[in-house]
Amino acid sequence: MSELRQSVVVQRMVKRYGRVAAVDDVTLEIERGEFVTLLGPSGSGKTTILMAIAGFVQPTSGDILLDGRAITRLPPERRNFGMVFQGYALFPHMTVFENVAFALRARGRPGEEVQRKVVEALDLVQLSPYAQRLPRQLSGGQQQRVALARALVFTPHLLLLDEPLSALDKKLRADLQLELKALHERVGLTFLYVTHDQDEALSMSDRVAILREGKLVQFGRPRELYERPATRFVADFLGKSNFIAGTAQGGDGGTLAYSAGGLTLRQAVAGAPPAPGAPILVALRPEKIAVVADTPPDTANAVAGRIAQWSYSGTHFQLLVDTPAVGRMIATVPAWRCRIEPATGATVHLGWDPDATVIVAEDASADSPH
Amino acid sequence: MTADRLAQVAIRGYLALFFAYLFLPLGVLVGAAFNASRYPTLVPWEGLTGQWFADLLADRLMGEAAWNSLVVGLGVVAVSVPVGTAGALVLSSLHARARTLLYGFLVSPILTPGVIIGIATLIFWNRAFGVPGGLMLTVVAQSSFIAAYCMLLVLARLERFDRAQEEAALSLGASRLQVFRRITLPFLAPALYAGAFIAFLQSFENFNTTLFVVGTDTTLPIRLASMVRQTMSPSVNALAVILIATTVAAAAAYEVLRRRGR
Ligand SMILES: Nc1ncnc2c1ncn2[C@@H]1O[C@H](COP(=O)(O)OP(=O)(O)O)[C@@H](O)[C@H]1O
Ligand SMILES: [Mg+2]
Repeated sequence: MSELRQSVVVQRMVKRYGRVAAVDDVTLEIERGEFVTLLGPSGSGKTTILMAIAGFVQPTSGDILLDGRAITRLPPERRNFGMVFQGYALFPHMTVFENVAFALRARGRPGEEVQRKVVEALDLVQLSPYAQRLPRQLSGGQQQRVALARALVFTPHLLLLDEPLSALDKKLRADLQLELKALHERVGLTFLYVTHDQDEALSMSDRVAILREGKLVQFGRPRELYERPATRFVADFLGKSNFIAGTAQGGDGGTLAYSAGGLTLRQAVAGAPPAPGAPILVALRPEKIAVVADTPPDTANAVAGRIAQWSYSGTHFQLLVDTPAVGRMIATVPAWRCRIEPATGATVHLGWDPDATVIVAEDASADSPH
Repeated sequence: MTADRLAQVAIRGYLALFFAYLFLPLGVLVGAAFNASRYPTLVPWEGLTGQWFADLLADRLMGEAAWNSLVVGLGVVAVSVPVGTAGALVLSSLHARARTLLYGFLVSPILTPGVIIGIATLIFWNRAFGVPGGLMLTVVAQSSFIAAYCMLLVLARLERFDRAQEEAALSLGASRLQVFRRITLPFLAPALYAGAFIAFLQSFENFNTTLFVVGTDTTLPIRLASMVRQTMSPSVNALAVILIATTVAAAAAYEVLRRRGR
């Protein structure tokens, strides 16, 4: 069984619809047994990549490799990839049992084997009592599990999932995220998952590929993406971020000094710092900002401002602070250790360490004039 | 209060008139089939008789016409349902412009006068290929527009088909043929039954197209027309009663089956 677990490579894939490039030169290498998520806003090309791997979309150029072998022209029915569709696409005229048995019957497997494997697959998703129901007699979550069992029963090389949880309500979605993650560990198959929900991507995946306007922006572990976003888009899409535009001054001993709004701020850098005079963009997570009331904080960076707005969510205070130097900043402070009494108009000081921020690139915009 | 009353009375009166207009002629026609008078009339009532039905059954030509109508109807079903389904499948796989164009082309036989279809079929097959008028040519001529009805029915159902089901089946390793047999066809089944039913009825009552291509054979509507022309016997009414009864029974049976199928 383990020799069937293959690795998939998307190599320099381009897909054009007329003049629009739905996918623009994307290369992805997915390892055996990995849980990889394609994450991006609607229209960023996630489904197109998934469908090209499944064989339903023919790339304009580039290749799909399975274990080093190009399968770009192999028809979908011969790829042996399991697929879970957004609306599940269960067969409405077949019972749950027959839905799950479909792949085995299509392969002409003997009745005894069909029986055994379907029962196993239904056990795996805890649906055995529902074998004789029709799909429409099941809840959304149960239908979703039927779709999973149906796609897993024939031990596919790879499981492709296109926003499988998006039709469900929030609570159920959270439960099923955990179930999916556990299922991935149990079956040890490669999962390629598509979503536009960053929390879902961060909590389930081994690695996340961030897509924007058909291009792969960054591919890495969730923590790495969150802590070290490569571009403004990644920092913004994965949670909230403040951005400070400045000019590099000079580096010494792993710290770069830069000027922004008349202040000199410090940024930790590994490797060669940007040349003095170069424009830089720094991303700062709201939760990495310390907020104090009167004296400037003892952090390397300190900016004063006034609270423009604040809100309380039980666990956190969220503050919108207008600063003369770097504009409006968002800061979130854990409520239990908030050292100030938030009030609109109050003067506060924001502080952060050089390693709290990260230099990000501006994203090239497809619509900007060149 | 009185105005309301008046409006109510007016509406009821209108409805009564409306239904009278619809059903009175049928009532007269049915009644006359049982009147012993030698003329197809309700008054004067000369007594109840089954004579006209007996005459009808004794008429050998009539039996032959009924049999022919049945054969042609089944033939039309056998041609129109697969052809219409194929047309619908092709249409639904096309995109915008090609689709509109082909759609117009495939639907045009419905808009063409039946007489023209009859004459065109006769000229094409008879003049060009020497196929004589008869039941076979009748099946061909009728199918050329009845298939379009079947196509519309299947197309309407295909519009509601979730294409992801076909993709799902393919991803599960089914061949294109397996996908069609096990997924698409079961989904289309209700439209296919409806298509078969409508095709049969359309064929069974068709007169104007059939007239040109039927040759020396005869179908029920053709026989009926020639009877009306030749005689004024109430057995024509008897035949009409049988046709009405058959149609109503078939429609009722279809509806019952359809509801049970839900
Ligand atoms: N069949 C198609 N014809 C034309 N444009 C398409 C087609 N499929 C996708 N696109 C376009 O390609 C882009 C990417 O689509 P898609 O891969 O579905 O995005 P996502 O799944 O990330 O929302 C979109 O701009 C979409 O409009
Ligand atoms: Mg999508």
